[in-house]
Amino acid sequence: METSDKILTKAKMPFCPGCGHGVCVRSTSKALENLGYGSKDVVMVSDIGCSGLVDPLFATHTIHGLHGRSPALGLGVTLGLDNPNKKVIVIQGDGGATIGLQHILEASRRNVDMTLIVLNNLLYGMTGGQMSGLSTNNFKQFKHSDDNAEPYDIVNLAHQAGAAFSVRVNDISNFEKILKEAIEKPGFSLVELSSLCTSHGMKKISELKNYIVEEEKFTNNRPVGVSLRRNTVNLFDRAKILIPQFNSNISETIGVVIAGSAGGGIQSAAKMLAQAGILSGLYATMKGEYPITVGTGFSVAEVILSKKPIHFTGLENPSIVLAVTEDGWNKVKNRISSTSKVLTDSKINSEESYSTKEFLKEGGKKGAALCAVSYWINESRVFPIEALLKVVEGSKYEESLRSAIKSAENL
Amino acid sequence: MKTVTSKMVLTDASRIMTEALVQSGADVFIGYPITPSNLFYAYSKERFPEFLAGPDEISVLQWMCGYSAAGKIPVTATSFPGLALMTETLNMAYMMELPMVLVIVQRLGPSTGSATTGAQGDLKFLDGIISGGLPLPIFSPSDFKDSWNLANEAVKTAVELRTPVILLTSKEMVMTQKGFDINLLKTLNRVNNPIKNFEPPYQPYKAGEDMVPPFVPLGNEELQARFNASTHDNDGLIRKGTPESLANTWRLREKLEKRIDEFFFYELDAEVGATNLVVSWGITSDASRDAVQAIRKKGNKISLLIVKTILPISSKIYEIIDSYEKVLFAEENMTGLYKEMIFGKRNNSKVKTATKFGGMLTPSEIEKMLFN
Repeated sequence: METSDKILTKAKMPFCPGCGHGVCVRSTSKALENLGYGSKDVVMVSDIGCSGLVDPLFATHTIHGLHGRSPALGLGVTLGLDNPNKKVIVIQGDGGATIGLQHILEASRRNVDMTLIVLNNLLYGMTGGQMSGLSTNNFKQFKHSDDNAEPYDIVNLAHQAGAAFSVRVNDISNFEKILKEAIEKPGFSLVELSSLCTSHGMKKISELKNYIVEEEKFTNNRPVGVSLRRNTVNLFDRAKILIPQFNSNISETIGVVIAGSAGGGIQSAAKMLAQAGILSGLYATMKGEYPITVGTGFSVAEVILSKKPIHFTGLENPSIVLAVTEDGWNKVKNRISSTSKVLTDSKINSEESYSTKEFLKEGGKKGAALCAVSYWINESRVFPIEALLKVVEGSKYEESLRSAIKSAENL
Repeated sequence: MKTVTSKMVLTDASRIMTEALVQSGADVFIGYPITPSNLFYAYSKERFPEFLAGPDEISVLQWMCGYSAAGKIPVTATSFPGLALMTETLNMAYMMELPMVLVIVQRLGPSTGSATTGAQGDLKFLDGIISGGLPLPIFSPSDFKDSWNLANEAVKTAVELRTPVILLTSKEMVMTQKGFDINLLKTLNRVNNPIKNFEPPYQPYKAGEDMVPPFVPLGNEELQARFNASTHDNDGLIRKGTPESLANTWRLREKLEKRIDEFFFYELDAEVGATNLVVSWGITSDASRDAVQAIRKKGNKISLLIVKTILPISSKIYEIIDSYEKVLFAEENMTGLYKEMIFGKRNNSKVKTATKFGGMLTPSEIEKMLFN
């Protein structure tokens, strides 16, 4: 770390006369310099409000963002830098801490190594003195708020969420000492400094007693959250490579709809059918449709098999409909055209007299769809059933999948 | 028929784009799960050198900004509800000139709509998402090969032009699986982001002729990095309405519009003698390809334009469209949002739309509308 250069520039403090923010800035700078940090060792993160005017005051790296979001921005900077020699200091006001409370809790939960300084002037100074979530109740009656909800105790909240160090300081003579302690502490530290607004707050304060929330200080001894980089491998290294080795005699593009219930292996059966098609030299697509709940209701899959490359992956008129449960049947029965071949499980009550087979009985609840697919492959001879058996080869469920495929021979 | 050198897999475009983004140099995926972008989340967990699960979409994009300002290339994937939450931060990233890639998987709206139904409904929201009339680079892949190439171009553009880039796609593009020969995917090189030469003294937002300031990450040992979301001068400090600070904001628009040729991608299947043109983008491109094939099979002449760089709009698009008598826009939304970006909302006898809301637009519907 550098020690020769200064943390602050020579820029004039931009704050109103009497505002405590200047003291906070100077205390922060002194704490950093006393700890040996140079200007290029520090990233100052700020956001909107009077506290956000600090950028020109710092000769450090600076990043000035959005109202209340600086703890989240600072978290990204800290993990992105992944450098223990750099110190990220975040400054925001009580308004920012209110709107961005989630970010403070998240930084605390992860215990990311940075220091958040909340300059609490108990109100929104730039917009007319409205109350923030950190305003005291007496203060709230002052302007723009009729409610009497208790203010957030941001220091205790950070502590409860896991911050390594959180503290509230009212006495300006302790600012530098406490800031130094916070900056030195590995992990997430939050320092709430009282800094009254001279324009909007002072008059009211003169009428009040004990307006300041009591000082408090907490620590947690927890692991520091760090960047977790790892080595990974190409996503296609583990993909199933499908080398065409069977033949198919199909002349037209075939669209297969497989319909059943969630948990019934519908999507897997469709995927295996598409893979078997590719092993047979065909082009294939597969898409699924199911409710957002995933684990209940219908499950429908569409497979297109073609000798020609497939562009549009929708299915206007299904050639084949395989339905194994009522759930699925109800979803697809209106899509059937006069040219569709339909095979349903014998338990399905269809109004028309479609061919039925006992897919559920032979294949079981989880194997019925694969049984139906296998039956159709055997019957239509679109390609040899060996293509499907090849697909399941090596699967950790190979035995049960083979059994479902073979069960079609009983139909 | 596939060749003997093919390496066929059954895959989806989420996997293809994720792999391409990592090979292109993206460092970290930060995400909040939302259907139908969840495959990106899953693949990224497996593949990205670093993966973070954000507690909400605002945090996600803020963290990404932090990573980006520290010199990393972050990526996320979301859908409209997530994008809506990210909007303010997206403006921040744009203003700060932070490289990053956002994959937007469109689904049926409005509001939470139907999460598992595809759509092309977010285009005009994205067109105006940067307050003030500034363009955000948007790429939209029309197929798997585009998914690979445009993911790479997205990273390149983000770094070269210092900007967030959107990869705009749709549920059916990123979740439908297709047999695909991965040997068709060209090897990608990692995009580097060195500090380019500058005329001293260094000022964080002082740009040279290329209109892009040198990128100095936070924490640099030599130079003071400053990033600012508010209107700022060349030093990166807040300045309200000065000529220098306003020029800086104008530059954000100019760098993208004047350098559009560097990242403008499209596909024109022009048939000699054709007076009709089908215009498409994203998921409706494949339906359009089939429709055009069917129309030609019947002896009619037709051309097809597939736009892949949606924004900024290149003048080349206007040139192509102007050279046809009739133009049909094929889109999965209510009114033809890309059509409205080109022609406005006013009726135009030259322009038709084949639109569908709540399902996939089919080749036969496109064909029907063209001759309607």
